[in-house]
Amino acid sequence: MEIKLASVDSLIIYFGNEINKNIALKVKNAYSSLLKSDIKGIIEVVPSYTSIFITYDIFKYSFDEIKNILKESILIKNTESLSQKEFVIDVYYGSEVGFDLEDISKKTNLSTDEIIAIHSQKLYDVYAIGFLPGFAYTASVNEKIAMPRLSSPRKVIPKGSVAIADTQTAVYPSSSPGGWNIIGRTTLELFDKKLDSLSPLSVGDKIRFNPISKDEFLSQGGVI
Amino acid sequence: MSFEILNTPIFATIQDKGRFSYTSIGVTNSGVMDEFSYEMANRLLGNEDKSNTIEVAFSNVHFKVNSNTTLAITGALCEFFINDILKTTWQTYNVKAGDIIKVGKILEGVRVYISVKDGFKIKKEFGSNSTTIKENLGGLDGDKLKKGQVLPFNSYSQSHNTRLKKEFIPKFTNELELRVLLSYQDDSFQKVQIDKFFSSTYTITNEFNRMACKLRGEAISCDINGIISEGISFGAIQIPSNGQPIILLKDRQTIGGYPKIGSVLSIDCFKLSQCKPGCKIRFKPIEIVQAQKKLKEFYLSFN
Repeated sequence: MEIKLASVDSLIIYFGNEINKNIALKVKNAYSSLLKSDIKGIIEVVPSYTSIFITYDIFKYSFDEIKNILKESILIKNTESLSQKEFVIDVYYGSEVGFDLEDISKKTNLSTDEIIAIHSQKLYDVYAIGFLPGFAYTASVNEKIAMPRLSSPRKVIPKGSVAIADTQTAVYPSSSPGGWNIIGRTTLELFDKKLDSLSPLSVGDKIRFNPISKDEFLSQGGVI
Repeated sequence: MSFEILNTPIFATIQDKGRFSYTSIGVTNSGVMDEFSYEMANRLLGNEDKSNTIEVAFSNVHFKVNSNTTLAITGALCEFFINDILKTTWQTYNVKAGDIIKVGKILEGVRVYISVKDGFKIKKEFGSNSTTIKENLGGLDGDKLKKGQVLPFNSYSQSHNTRLKKEFIPKFTNELELRVLLSYQDDSFQKVQIDKFFSSTYTITNEFNRMACKLRGEAISCDINGIISEGISFGAIQIPSNGQPIILLKDRQTIGGYPKIGSVLSIDCFKLSQCKPGCKIRFKPIEIVQAQKKLKEFYLSFN
């Protein structure tokens, strides 16, 4: 665990430098213990793949003081774990909504059915929520269908698009620009202003993608 | 008991101090770009420090006053009219039903703040009135202000006259020095690159909005191309592979994957928010103890 300065009122704690489950588990434990220890004067706690970013009240702590408090409270409680919810996300993997399916098929020499099967057979972990509300960075996609980001991002990716970037997968919670490869679409609302957390997903949750037919997608209110 | 918007402003939004403790779910902090002008408006009015305000960029906003109130106008130097009479800024005015208020041309600086006594009565979303358009949160409808919209407030009819002494009114210049805390991935920049960063002059490009300010100048190279995405601070300076610094501001993305050389001291980001494209920027290092002292002094100066 390494604590580094980020800005005048923030710092970042690193737990490793690669995307893997072991490091993610450390982040999860630390995040959970931080929330439970409820240190006064901590304003933001942003967990990601290998790090936790924290902003704090500089009227309460100097950088050195908060650093020492964090070292103690995180080390003592490293046996905690996050509660894990499991989500099944229905996805219509059709070429009308999965703009990059055929391209991925060409690059990987896999049929679109094989790509769909590989993407939907795995149980994934949510590593981070960020970029936009409800955007869950989820990993790890089977290397066989891992795809680098598009060379230039699309101006608009439709809401609900299911996407791949390298070994990460995610759902665009609202329409936005983006450079990930689009393979399908869901009707699940991931940015919901009625929810306290704005999204049903949180770090630590598990996700499985369930392929559905075009008819099922349309009957769920899906738009093509 | 309201202001009614008579024209279509180019870019005016409701803002307050910001939306906090939701970055873990991807919601950015948002909030006023220039906290000095905002805090000063609150102080002139005797408002609590979390009051909301109208942040006007790019000039030309017309309001009709529907009920008595006291307003304060701070921020960029602009043509400000009450019933077509030119008025000075950085002070309060008692206005009454029927008055027409206009912010015309912005002469120096970028952002004007118009606040009313006790703030506008608008329902908060996630603890704040700050408008973040990409998240559809805050303001009246998650968007910039539009013609015909009504901003409600509680009437206030007492005479209230305060103004900021001239010597405290900031000067908006075309050159700015930003104090930087080396942080984040600073170890991945070689000394010669860091020296270059602190000895070069950069120019603000047209790509400057509430989210970020892109600079143009000497390219800085980093030993690494990208990092595993991580939380981004206010003022963080990203160095993408083209070497041109990007300073992240109030509507920044919460997580990002470009290397960062450090972070601009927040007080200096407030000054930056009043700079126009074309302004010259230089960076100067500051240490954390001194930086925190400066930031505390900044906030305490409004008490």
